[in-house]
Amino acid sequence: MKHTTLKLLAATALVPIGLTAPALAGDFDGYTLRVKLIGGAQYEPLYAEIEKWEAETGATVDILSRKNHFELDREIKQDIAAGTLDWCVGSNHTSFAPQYGNIYRDLNELLDPAVLAEFQPLALENSTVDGRLVQLPRHSDISNLYYQKSLYEDEDNKAAFLAEYGYELAPPDTWDQVKDQALFFANPPDFYGTQYVGKDEAITGRFYEMLVANGGALFDEDWNPTFNSPEGVMTVQWFKDLYDAGAVPAGVMNYLWDDTGAGFASGTVALNLDWAGWAAYFNDPDASQVAGNVGLVRAPKGAAGIRSGWSGSHTFSITESCDNPEAAASFITFLTDHDRQMVEARTGLLPTRQSVWDAVKAEFLAEGNEFQAMVSETYAQSMAEDAFTPPLIEPWIEVSNEIWPALQAAILGEKSIQDALDDAAEAAGEIMEDAGYRN
Amino acid sequence: MRWRAEKHTPFLLLSPAILTILFVVAIPLAFSLYTSMTPYKLTKPDTINTFVGLRNYVRLFSDDKFWWAFGRTILFLAVALNLEFILGLGIALLINRITWGQRTLRTMMMFPMMFSPILVGFQFKYIFNDNIGILNNALQALGITDGSIAWLVDKPLGMISIITAEVWMSTSVFAILLLAGLFAMPRDPLEAAKVDGCNPWQVFRHITLPFLMPFAFIAMTIRSLDVARAYDIVDVMTGGGPAGRTEVLWTLIARVGYDNSKMGEANAMAYVSTLLSVAFTYYFFTKLVAARRYMGGAE
Repeated sequence: MKHTTLKLLAATALVPIGLTAPALAGDFDGYTLRVKLIGGAQYEPLYAEIEKWEAETGATVDILSRKNHFELDREIKQDIAAGTLDWCVGSNHTSFAPQYGNIYRDLNELLDPAVLAEFQPLALENSTVDGRLVQLPRHSDISNLYYQKSLYEDEDNKAAFLAEYGYELAPPDTWDQVKDQALFFANPPDFYGTQYVGKDEAITGRFYEMLVANGGALFDEDWNPTFNSPEGVMTVQWFKDLYDAGAVPAGVMNYLWDDTGAGFASGTVALNLDWAGWAAYFNDPDASQVAGNVGLVRAPKGAAGIRSGWSGSHTFSITESCDNPEAAASFITFLTDHDRQMVEARTGLLPTRQSVWDAVKAEFLAEGNEFQAMVSETYAQSMAEDAFTPPLIEPWIEVSNEIWPALQAAILGEKSIQDALDDAAEAAGEIMEDAGYRN
Repeated sequence: MRWRAEKHTPFLLLSPAILTILFVVAIPLAFSLYTSMTPYKLTKPDTINTFVGLRNYVRLFSDDKFWWAFGRTILFLAVALNLEFILGLGIALLINRITWGQRTLRTMMMFPMMFSPILVGFQFKYIFNDNIGILNNALQALGITDGSIAWLVDKPLGMISIITAEVWMSTSVFAILLLAGLFAMPRDPLEAAKVDGCNPWQVFRHITLPFLMPFAFIAMTIRSLDVARAYDIVDVMTGGGPAGRTEVLWTLIARVGYDNSKMGEANAMAYVSTLLSVAFTYYFFTKLVAARRYMGGAE
């Protein structure tokens, strides 16, 4: 009896719970998988594929929630508080994941290493919190610099710029060049040199990536805030100089992604650092005034010679309380397999499997869509070489909520840059202390 | 035995109402009062068991950001409610004079109330957008300004823009209630005043307005209770920014409670916000009683 039990235990130990091989027909017959997914136009094409998984496995997917990420975040926090984590799969994000503690499973224990090996190592690394792979990356994102090509082909512009700044006018490679060119092109209120998002985690992220590019850091090794350093001041000064000069729209401090996207598409902005998902929209003649006139270069370098590369991934996680982790693992493996990532990559989202990068670029070229092929190549390079996430710490959003109002106060001149950053650093220090990261 | 039963009858009859109020109002209120005295974090449910007394309140009362948001909320309430009253009164008086198509106009007047606050927020966010918004484009096209006005960023303009959206959405509440008051108004005093030689202003000032005041205070009472619906408008239009320029209690509470997960601290703020609402409601209720007494109505 004892031997039988031991044998059974040994056998189950050799077969990981995770069903990493593709699910077979009828594997989960009659089972209903409860999921909470991020909603929104750009995410929907993938969900149209769900019925294929249902047909393959015999399971049914019950989508309990389909909200934007901020609303989904609130709902998940409410579920944690109320103890109602009675669902299996949830959409997640690398910036959000650290706050949820241990509600999600370590996918290293659930998925086949061979499947995981097909993902980009950096994407998996960024999905790991405290050594646990709590999420499987669905698609990633990073920003690069869009520009209006015609401005750089205009001979008058070239001559005038050379005379004023002493170097040739070309798409910028550094943040200093972006500033020069933004000031040169600006003619408010009809035309602006550039723009930036001005609130919420959006501006914290932009500040963070430029801080890193300038050689600074948000925290030191002991989690003491260090963003009020000279590099931090230099970074905020860049934002403030452009704002004071009117080289960015007067309302930028209230802008989020939709505003900057609509602004560049309206043809009134010369340079625009933005996400990959916007490329097709910018080049669509039905939606954009700059269609056919869009250029793209990698995000510029800062004073330290590092390129900006604030990055993150949309992901899927499986709850610890899930009653059928095998079905959940099969489901998220299906949603992130090669064919499913191709569905998203065709719409301009950035895949997390290397094979998809190559395949989608080849497909764009075969269709004669050189613009999207160029976009794909540029983003592939920046994802491979420039990407870095915000600190993967539990109080990241809370720290961000101290930083962005301070950035706004400094840019609008309500406080000196140093004072604003010092105040935010002090508040961030207290948060890190309360969260147990520093003594 | 019968005596006992009769004595308990009122309580028995009232018990459904008492139980409903207990479960729907009293228990949640008591629970949130308790959580306001804990370091309760949504993502760490166990923290609800740690009692910290009044620490959240002490921290709150020594926080400048909180007091600024508190002051801005009072300003928002005072300006929005008064503007809604004045505009609602004007609309009600105008519609009351119309003899043809009044029903259609009354229905059209209620359209803004039917929009969800989130939709109103997005609508006005794009109207007030400095670069591609229709307001700036119209002002520039008409030659009124050659610059770009940062409606949602500038210090007074940010609050003014939000109040405009709120007033657009809710003025019809006042208009409808005041119009009901006008319909219910007896004609005799008006005709007597005219016979006595009162001019239209005197008739309005001394007869129409005092008669309408109870209706106005009913509207004020209702609005002061549901004005927090404006949270969605503020959140969408400015999110309380920039640099806290349009931060009101509701946006601060939502950020602390949900984004930062600090529900204990947020509940302490919410309690202060609730007391503020109760104070406004109580004030309007006393004014309502006084207005009814002035008109000779029942207290």
